Amino acid sequence: MRSLGYLIKEGLRNVWVNRTMTIASIAVLMSCLLLTGAAGLFSLNVNRAMGTLEGNNSIRVYVRQDVSSLDALRIGDEIRKLDNVESCEFVSKDEGMDEMRELLGEENASLLDGLEGDDNWLPDSFRISMKDLSQYDETAREIQAIDGVDSIYDYSDLANQLTRIDNIVTRVGLVIVIALSVVSLFIIANTIRVAMLSRRLEISIMKSVGATNGFIRVPFIVEGIVLGLVAGLVSSLLLDFIYYRVIDALGIDMLFRVINIHHYLLPMVLAFMLVGALFGALGGAISIGRFLKREGGAVVGW
Amino acid sequence: MISMRHVSKTYPNGTHALYDVSFQVQKGEFVFVVGSSGAGKSTLLKLITCEEKPDGGELSVNGEDLVAIKRREVPYLRRTLGMVFQDFRLIPTMNVFENVAFAMRIVGASRREIRKRVPYMLGLVDLLDKQKSYPAELSGGEQQRVGLARALVNNPDLILADEPTGNIDPALSFEIVDLLSEINLRGTTVVMVTHEHNLVKHFHKRIVEIHEGRIVADTNGLEANEA
Ligand SMILES: Nc1ncnc2c1ncn2[C@@H]1O[C@H](COP(=O)(O)OP(=O)(O)OP(=O)(O)O)[C@@H](O)[C@H]1O
Ligand SMILES: [Mg+2]
Repeated sequence: MRSLGYLIKEGLRNVWVNRTMTIASIAVLMSCLLLTGAAGLFSLNVNRAMGTLEGNNSIRVYVRQDVSSLDALRIGDEIRKLDNVESCEFVSKDEGMDEMRELLGEENASLLDGLEGDDNWLPDSFRISMKDLSQYDETAREIQAIDGVDSIYDYSDLANQLTRIDNIVTRVGLVIVIALSVVSLFIIANTIRVAMLSRRLEISIMKSVGATNGFIRVPFIVEGIVLGLVAGLVSSLLLDFIYYRVIDALGIDMLFRVINIHHYLLPMVLAFMLVGALFGALGGAISIGRFLKREGGAVVGW
Repeated sequence: MISMRHVSKTYPNGTHALYDVSFQVQKGEFVFVVGSSGAGKSTLLKLITCEEKPDGGELSVNGEDLVAIKRREVPYLRRTLGMVFQDFRLIPTMNVFENVAFAMRIVGASRREIRKRVPYMLGLVDLLDKQKSYPAELSGGEQQRVGLARALVNNPDLILADEPTGNIDPALSFEIVDLLSEINLRGTTVVMVTHEHNLVKHFHKRIVEIHEGRIVADTNGLEANEA
């Protein structure tokens, strides 16, 4: 369309003329996008943490440091003899070190340098699973009684807890995000309605000279898209910044390898901008739909 | 150009604005529509511009059947019409040039066409030297001439003017009607609503008189002057 440049310019003019409202709607849309992003990152990281932890139903038995690997294998046989033990898999101290390396991620793996081979301070261990978890306490006592067993850790508990937290965060996050989406749509639509009312004289004249509704819409949709693009850009960059601040503050990067969003920064920014633009366009479309049904003088309120 | 047969219009609140109105306007005619306040003159124009739908009867403009017209076809019908308003309806934040160019942009004219055509139109209404002025800096007559230039810029077949002289003093009113007659002589059909009798008497044109929603007289200017 030959007048597209003109229409876009008009849309940008709306943004400027309407700046207080514009800033308000950008802020709300931004908080919506930020929260969505934060909940998403939390969930992704929880999943990552669980992946690096044991599987859901797994219990770890550590052997005392002073027990030789050969004796350790004998301990394994004894564990397998217990009724409630379903499987029992030997994890040597070297394998333990590999796991640890995996857990820490490339960035922090150098911490383990010099602790390999003979200097490895990790104990041998067994990864076991039980047939009936309700008899956990009793079975654990039996294992503990075996000579050479140091301690038992039930990672399944931690995994369950993480899953529970993840579920809560996902659910609460979803509710908040939906509520905020509705609020942002409402505020964007209202912002654009203000722009529209301030230009109703122009709209009535446009109609009287034969502008199609589609044409009249364009600047307002452009306005919405601009709002959305700005909100998407700023919130994704902000999310990136806050993410690393929070990780540093909590020190959780020492526990497991957190997701590195720097790698995905560009797609993330683009996705946020796309979602923002969609919201903006939708807000614009909602606000003018009804208005355009009016005719002639009724547009201006004469 | 305009053909109305047995057209009535009732507003949603029950007001009967027009009863069984029939009249024709041929291409190239100049018609005054007169009548007291509330007679239904504006309603008549609104039917022609598709702002309102008739209750019944037949109505066609420029060969287009307005009873059956689809919503999305209305803008294209309006592009063949030029509207002039009593209150000018100029956009205060745009200068004279922009106000006229605006109408061309809407129908997708190129910048080159706009740069050529707008000054030509402003020359026609004798406002070339005011093209950078804003509406607030113009007299009523000048503002109405801008409105006229805007109505004409897309080369409409039919000009519809609803009391275009209502807000300006009598001397300027004559100027505006002079201009409309001149445009009419170039082949554009003109329908002008007014209740200024001096004006109607001075120009010898066809006069359609509406009273309480009915056409009570339809005379050419000469007969009216004799009466
Ligand atoms: N939108 C509307 N809703 C309801 N009634 C209306 C509407 N517009 C006009 N009317 C009524 O229809 C009748 C005709 O109105 P119209 O505006 O056509 O008169 P007019 O001849 O143009 O008068 P004037 O010279 O004062 O402009 C009046 O009784 C008016 O009150
Ligand atoms: Mg009127």
